[in-house]
Amino acid sequence: MSGDDNTARFERIVQPHLGDAYALARWITGSRADAEDVVQDACLRAFRAIGGYAGGNTRAWMLTIVRNTAYTWLARNRSAVVMAVDDLVSIESANAGQAATSASGRYDANPEAELIAKADAARLEAAITALPPQFRDTLVLRDIQGLDYREIAAVTEVPVGTVMSRLARARQRLIEAIAADDR
Amino acid sequence: MTGPMTVDTHDNNDRTTLLVHAYVDGELDPANAIAIEQRIASEPALAAERARVEALRRALRERLPQEPAPAALREKVRRAAGLTRQRAQPTWMALAASLALAIFASSTGTWYAMQPPVGGSVPDAVIAGHLRALMAPQPADVASSDRHTVKPWFSGRIPLAPRVVDLVQDGFPLVGGRVDVVNRTPVPSLVYSRRQHLISLTAVPNASVGNRTSQTVQGYNMIAWTADGMTYWAVSDLNLQELEMFTRLFRAAPS
Repeated sequence: MSGDDNTARFERIVQPHLGDAYALARWITGSRADAEDVVQDACLRAFRAIGGYAGGNTRAWMLTIVRNTAYTWLARNRSAVVMAVDDLVSIESANAGQAATSASGRYDANPEAELIAKADAARLEAAITALPPQFRDTLVLRDIQGLDYREIAAVTEVPVGTVMSRLARARQRLIEAIAADDR
Repeated sequence: MTGPMTVDTHDNNDRTTLLVHAYVDGELDPANAIAIEQRIASEPALAAERARVEALRRALRERLPQEPAPAALREKVRRAAGLTRQRAQPTWMALAASLALAIFASSTGTWYAMQPPVGGSVPDAVIAGHLRALMAPQPADVASSDRHTVKPWFSGRIPLAPRVVDLVQDGFPLVGGRVDVVNRTPVPSLVYSRRQHLISLTAVPNASVGNRTSQTVQGYNMIAWTADGMTYWAVSDLNLQELEMFTRLFRAAPS
């Protein structure tokens, strides 16, 4: 594989996803400047790996690299932000029970849906930022970047079942957070 | 946790909730989708969950569209990977990128000295996008005959969503949309069909071709026209008469 081929592949495989890469990096790092650093770093990694790129979904491939790069970057620069996996597991299971109650407990009209419809961009953004990282990533990949479950599973490196439960929890947390503003 | 590690569900209620979310996301196979649809119809709690999820998705789509990458980032990435050999034609985005980069590069050295002259033309890039789409498993990244699905799909991906019109009555059903890259700028392409032929309609910002041109490139018919600051390129292996009919209909249709 010559350098020219790699250059052409880089243009074809990486460049079209720069917007997605930047958006994901910005959500993970919470900063535009940091997102630019992460994307540059990720593109370098992608360029080095591109000779061995085996085909398949280029967007998922690129976003996987971006996400890993972003977490490596955060661990190096801001170690406190990354939550330990143990914490996350306890959050996921604690929320599972709560979610079931909230879904079965409501039979009336839908005040939350109305509040969400009225929530402004800043409020939505703040609520997403407040989510635990794994929930936030899953939600952003699905509801902002439009990936399907299989792609999200590839990017976040978990089974599709975990994507489903994280996505449902993430949405329920957002809904609860926004509904709580009104109380 | 006692259940399987892959799905953190604790009971049936919770599992049903996941299915409602997956249903809203269009991720269920037809049999499961019908089953959950029936349950939503008969169980108010599930209907409420569905309404909440849909409201949330709509709010996120409308109020938090994906922020595009800064123009300068694209060039920085190229520089970082040592890919600065061909130079795009100076569309406004490339100009903005160059300007930002000139400011950035003035402190770091000889970026302009490394720039050789101009690369490929717009028609070549448009044809390349069409050919790639024909070779791909799907000619469109978003496959839908509904313009109200196709148009919003673009808005998260490119700065300017294209005009999408419904021409199914005229025998040109919408197949979907995709993002092509012309002059290193992501641009929207709509895909329509006519019998077995596909038509790609690519909208390139601010690259005037005068009123209207048609040409044949590599055996494909192309018709270009400029409207609203965009140049539209229709490309297809369809005969020129029908392709012209398509462009007339597209231009005349209300958005």
